[in-house]
Amino acid sequence: MAAPGNLWLGHLRRSPLLLFLLLYTVLAGGPFLWVASLSLRTTPEIFAHPFALPGPLHWEKFAEAWTRSNYSTYFWNSTIVVVTAVVLLTVIGAMVAHCLARYQFRGNRLARFVILSGLILPPQLLILSLFQILLEFDLYNTLSGLILVYVAAHLAVTVYILEGFFAQIPQDLFDAARIDGYSDFEIFWRITLPIGTPAIFTAVTLNFIILWNEFLYAVVLLTEDDKRTLPLGIMHFMGSHQLDIGMLATGLMIAILPIILLYAFFSETMIRGMTAGAVR
Amino acid sequence: MAEVALNGLSKRYAGSGELAVKGMTLTVADGEFMVLLGPSGCGKSSVLRMIAGLEPISAGTVSIDGKVINAMPAKDRDIAMVFQSYALYPHMDVFNNLAFGLRRRSVPRDEIERRVNAAAAQLGLTPFLKRKPHALSGGQRQRVALGRAIVREPKVFLFDEPLSNLDAALRVTTRNELIRQQQDIGITTIYVTHDQIEAMTMGHRICIMDKGEVVQIGPPLAVYRDPANTFVARFLGNPPMNLMRVALEADAGEARLRLGTLTLPAAAWPADRLGALGSGALLGIRPEDLYETSPRPGDDSLLPLPATVAAVEPLGAETLLVLTLDGVEEEVIARCGRETRLRPGGRATIMLDSAAAHLFDPATTRVIARIGA
Repeated sequence: MAAPGNLWLGHLRRSPLLLFLLLYTVLAGGPFLWVASLSLRTTPEIFAHPFALPGPLHWEKFAEAWTRSNYSTYFWNSTIVVVTAVVLLTVIGAMVAHCLARYQFRGNRLARFVILSGLILPPQLLILSLFQILLEFDLYNTLSGLILVYVAAHLAVTVYILEGFFAQIPQDLFDAARIDGYSDFEIFWRITLPIGTPAIFTAVTLNFIILWNEFLYAVVLLTEDDKRTLPLGIMHFMGSHQLDIGMLATGLMIAILPIILLYAFFSETMIRGMTAGAVR
Repeated sequence: MAEVALNGLSKRYAGSGELAVKGMTLTVADGEFMVLLGPSGCGKSSVLRMIAGLEPISAGTVSIDGKVINAMPAKDRDIAMVFQSYALYPHMDVFNNLAFGLRRRSVPRDEIERRVNAAAAQLGLTPFLKRKPHALSGGQRQRVALGRAIVREPKVFLFDEPLSNLDAALRVTTRNELIRQQQDIGITTIYVTHDQIEAMTMGHRICIMDKGEVVQIGPPLAVYRDPANTFVARFLGNPPMNLMRVALEADAGEARLRLGTLTLPAAAWPADRLGALGSGALLGIRPEDLYETSPRPGDDSLLPLPATVAAVEPLGAETLLVLTLDGVEEEVIARCGRETRLRPGGRATIMLDSAAAHLFDPATTRVIARIGA
């Protein structure tokens, strides 16, 4: 057992680190908690005392936000777009990553370079050409158009995450499966995908979070109200001359709820996937 | 049950100028346990992978029961392979690891269960059938890998250094287990290793490879006793065979070999071969053919060699003596009894069994066969 003196010394040594973590938590979590408290207060209450804790909790604001501003449509649109895009990204990205990690074919390095170069292209650079392309193909102002753009824009990062993990799966496993009689696609399906689950969870969670909050492509490529996704819907509470800050906070909380749930359930799997070493 | 024949088998990897396997020809008889032995990088694993269908063949053929299978995919070759890393599927439990290959071959469900349970019982894996590989010890994983090969009931077993990840004690027991399994099942087996003890104890025959070429093929003891060249002489045996430069002399028309202060008769080797050697040759003698005291008093073939003891290495069951023979440049190692009283720096007269000596051509490194051998 450590002597009491040593224990205090240990605490003292750790105090700068603890102080740093405390500051970081306040900086990162503080604004979120503030918005969460605003979401339960009315706008006049907020203007009267911006930093006060909620007195009466106005839970009814959530129902009001949902019904008053077409929120159910935005939520549904976001769900369709993000779930479809994430499914497509995961399937296509995993196949691409498996091929790049596993097969030595002519042009392998070039294909990797072309796909991963998508990582360095900023969305602002592509937005005009994408706008024009979607117009040409009658995909402008459609959810499927936005889904395609999301898949194209996020394929690089998905492949990047998955390939790094897949490349660490020992070649012997694939050889053993080949000798056991499995075809290339079956090996992808029965070996790569199940073993790569942590990395796939990481890719799914990251893509979901990023796409759920995506604003730039959505605001340029969707203009009709019934096609809008949640980040655009929040703008409803921001008029040209007035700002309903209480409802805006409530809308934000509704929008972020799926992300919080997703992260609560999968954060450990995601971190494991990002830090996992070779499969043994 | 199958005969595996390799004919002029070669492998060149993309981007590499040199052949990894150079025109290998070898026939493994039905039910035979053949060991491919050689140092790292000698091409033995490439041979195994070409037989398995995991590596394209650059030239030559692989046949099973007379049928060339070069173009046949791995899955259709009816071969099972045990990998050095075991290659167990980490997301499946032991039962599913064993059953994975059978499911693909549309074996009925009850037959899969019967075979898996039988193999598990045979290998002592029954209590672990529901465990995932990460929850098994190294030895248990090795047995699962073996079980996966056994349940398939293939024509040919391939083993790629399956014991090298085990600790020394487990390696001995698993080695014996493998020998027993192969004897019981009797399936043609090709086993790759760089461990000469595995090769000596397991194989019906061993095929020694060096730099992509077959150097010698034969039963383990025959190869040990009659190495084809200095590579085999040094590679097989621990400690390896002692090699010493000897001068060729003629004494009254009779050829003799001069080793330090000792003159050996060379009548056992053909005179024309000795004549072609020029001035010198390499004399090879196994450490167990050097004696501290004569084992057969009065035997003319035992010749005395004055020596200084450089080091004494007691191994428990026996003791190794590192010796400097008078007038000989190379140090030699003698294997003697544990009761030896010799100490470093001491003088000794070591008895050399000339009947067990080998002579090698220093230019080609090949052995010069004795007359009548």
